[in-house]
Amino acid sequence: MGRQVAIASAGFCEHAVRRSDVSMPEMVKEAIDDCLSKVPSVGIEDIDMFVNGNMPAFEGASIPELWMTDWMGARNKPLMRVTTGGTTGGTVAIAGYYSVAAGLPGVDTVLAVAFEQQSQGDTSVGLSSVALGELTAIQSIGMPLQKMKRLVSAGAAIGIAAYQATNYMRKSKITEEDLARVVVQNRRNAAKNWYTHLKMPNVTIEEVLDTPYISYPLRFGMVCPASDGCCAMLFTTEEKAKDMADIPVYVNGVASVANETGIMGYNAGGGGQLDPSEQLGAQRSAELAFDQAGISFPGKEIDYAEVYAPFPNQELMWVEKLGLFETNTAPEMYANGTTAANGEFPINTSGGVNSTNAIGASAMERPAEAALQIMGKAGNQVPKTVHTSLGHGWGGIINLITMMVMADEPKRKFK
Amino acid sequence: MDKVGIVGYYYMKMSPDLIYGRYNLIFETVRGALDSVNLKKKDITTVISATNDYYDGRTISNAYCVEPAGAYLADESKAEMDGAFAAQYGLMRILSGNHKLAVVWGGSTPSCYPYDSAQLYQTDPTFERPTALVNNITAGGFQMRAYMEKYGVSAEDIAKVAVKNRKNAAKNPLANPEAQNANITVDDVLKSDILSDPVTELMYAAPCDGLAAILLAPEKQALKITDEPVWIKGVGSNQDPYYLGDRDLSECKSMEMAAKMAFDGAGITAKDVDFAEIFEQYAHEELILAEAIGLAEKGKANELNSEINGDIPINPSGGAIAGHAPFATGLMRIIEAVKQLQGKADGYQVKDPKVAIATGQIGFCAQNNILYVLEKGGN
Amino acid sequence: MTEQNVVTNKGMVRAEFNFWVGKYMDKFYDNLENKKIVGNMCPKCSDVFVPPRQVCGKCNEKIPLDQNWVDLPDTGTLKNYTITKWKVTERGSRKVKDSVIGMVQIDGSNTAIIYKLSNIDPAEVKTGMKVKIEWNDKTKGEPGDIKGFVKA
Repeated sequence: MGRQVAIASAGFCEHAVRRSDVSMPEMVKEAIDDCLSKVPSVGIEDIDMFVNGNMPAFEGASIPELWMTDWMGARNKPLMRVTTGGTTGGTVAIAGYYSVAAGLPGVDTVLAVAFEQQSQGDTSVGLSSVALGELTAIQSIGMPLQKMKRLVSAGAAIGIAAYQATNYMRKSKITEEDLARVVVQNRRNAAKNWYTHLKMPNVTIEEVLDTPYISYPLRFGMVCPASDGCCAMLFTTEEKAKDMADIPVYVNGVASVANETGIMGYNAGGGGQLDPSEQLGAQRSAELAFDQAGISFPGKEIDYAEVYAPFPNQELMWVEKLGLFETNTAPEMYANGTTAANGEFPINTSGGVNSTNAIGASAMERPAEAALQIMGKAGNQVPKTVHTSLGHGWGGIINLITMMVMADEPKRKFK
Repeated sequence: MDKVGIVGYYYMKMSPDLIYGRYNLIFETVRGALDSVNLKKKDITTVISATNDYYDGRTISNAYCVEPAGAYLADESKAEMDGAFAAQYGLMRILSGNHKLAVVWGGSTPSCYPYDSAQLYQTDPTFERPTALVNNITAGGFQMRAYMEKYGVSAEDIAKVAVKNRKNAAKNPLANPEAQNANITVDDVLKSDILSDPVTELMYAAPCDGLAAILLAPEKQALKITDEPVWIKGVGSNQDPYYLGDRDLSECKSMEMAAKMAFDGAGITAKDVDFAEIFEQYAHEELILAEAIGLAEKGKANELNSEINGDIPINPSGGAIAGHAPFATGLMRIIEAVKQLQGKADGYQVKDPKVAIATGQIGFCAQNNILYVLEKGGN
Repeated sequence: MTEQNVVTNKGMVRAEFNFWVGKYMDKFYDNLENKKIVGNMCPKCSDVFVPPRQVCGKCNEKIPLDQNWVDLPDTGTLKNYTITKWKVTERGSRKVKDSVIGMVQIDGSNTAIIYKLSNIDPAEVKTGMKVKIEWNDKTKGEPGDIKGFVKA
């Protein structure tokens, strides 16, 4: 059952704090055009099915994929919508994968599009609606909201990330300098990648540490921006990919395991996930994806990784949790240049989410960049040849994780 | 297409206002589906939810539903569309070979939010939304008028569909009590309040609270789980352009193409279908969609005998008019078709069906449609 | 089971959204402010769009921003209509006076726009009738500049 899936191309639109020159459908078309421009033999009429996703609450538009039918080129074609919070891009990419893997008659080539035009709405309002139930529950037991220092239960909001950071720092003994170092690497990488948002080719650790705290240990200079942007990926069968792309990329493992909502629980009655840096969901996702791809030692068998880290502590945490580096060794890997673009194991050479965060799109940009590195077509291409890479995403209330493991050879074992 | 079976299902009785906590509702529904075939949480490998952030009133609504839906440490995703589309995603996950049991659930509780406003957010914000004249109420009016004027179908003919569905709903124990009208007449329907001329309130599938879940499994596992799986023989989906002014509302091109895709995949034609569960947002839409599927010629669906004991029963359960729980409705059409094929539709059973179709839709005037061809399995 | 208020939080969460309309609609609204209708034409199939679009959905063809603009008259044909007393807003739907809402194809275009029909007896409305725009006195470059359509 099932068949091998390949990625033939990936594209982006220009990301910026405000893409005021385009409406939502026009922004999506830009990314689709960029994606298809890299595969000249493919026209929009060759697309059999579309998958689309974004975070609807951040833009005040419900199911906008129906509106942008014509701009996507999806008139009288099948279309599916997937939205899962911060992991939206990742789950859209995974849905694109499944649409091809299923082998439904007539569905061979699928275009997956994930986007966000956050400047149109107020992201903090969109995020707080995640926590509205908790806020009500807190008030009902008499705790005053004014005394709250951190909002524990809002995805990608600094509160829960800071909580995750302090838990991780306690266990791993990383310093603020370690955090700033990650930021500097990401921002300098982003300066070499054409579509990114925060390009800072000369930023230093001192400059990052010289910014005020938002919520210990995270400083203003360390956090990701809010961007407008879109990403598109072209999935197709093994046979068709060979005609479309010089170096097709094969998707060998996918997983999107969900954990329970952290600390507060789904009804603010408390949950089992007390330590948001433990990440059982991530560990399980990594297990499933690596198993499908036939990878037993990710640290050795993977050449390149894009991990979803809007905050620098998460980058250090994820590379360990996903099995790329041994526990408590990540800070050293950043200090000694292993994760730099010209290092042994480059991480987030695109600049990562820390430099560009269009919430709906960023979890797709991770596997998209990881695929482009294999193809040799990334904006900031690493010098070494990349054979196997992975793209990772997280979101929800830090309880949704997506993983996509890719290689230049089909390795997926079918039973 | 490899054989994938629907092996379990559950939905509780719909109501204009279910006095139920949202998460209890999800838990009972998913649990009900698993219990119906003696499966446990550990058997679940993947869960697909169908909810809409605007209907739930919270962003990333599926992030909170992980535990109630049995998705804890399971591969989970969401399709923000009518449940029937989420079922397709569940189907794709099974067909990929990566999963052995998929739980697909969806639904919402319109008693907790203003449904018409939530639908308003679907409109084009750069042109249509400021005037708010394109909405789910006026869309129905445009569609019905276009159909009536093109084919000369009368309001009475359309009212007969509403009467049929409401009488069927009275026989369906799980239908919305407000839609269970055993003694309704064509006159009652025509004289009810105008929603948007010429659509009257009783012709409209009014939203109500509800949630549904189904279980999908590949052939080998399906046969171990139940003696009477229902096989998905074909599926097709397609969407029309968005702007109402771009479309011919008297027909449904996207449903024509979705049906063709599904029938080709299943190797059948419309003549082989024993009955249909069609998601109709308004009574006239049932006629338009039946014609698009090929059950009748254009403009002639009103001549079909679509009663439960008729030539081609349509919506023996009462269809969406019997209860439209937003985002559960398509799943309920699938469930009702499965019930019929398994011979379990007590009180409204179609005689000896073997092949059925179930449809789902999303978007104004059925912009995006999906159609399943289902076949009776087992003995 | 009786319903009971356990805890009530009264408050308004203000969520404002401002949508970028893009350069094509920019030009449309600039013209609207001057009480003129413009559309654009697909270079392949010659369909004219009101409001203008970047992409022709039928042909999947991009319409260049600086070309193919078409000046259109204030008149049009009524393609479809409905009559309703329901007004839908962000807060919900409520009953107001009956209003006739029409789908109008501006002469020379191939799409239809949806606006109210004013100063007309609902019994007189017929598909195919000729209508023309009633402009707002003060136009601001927004959809409401077209107050509605009246019998031509």
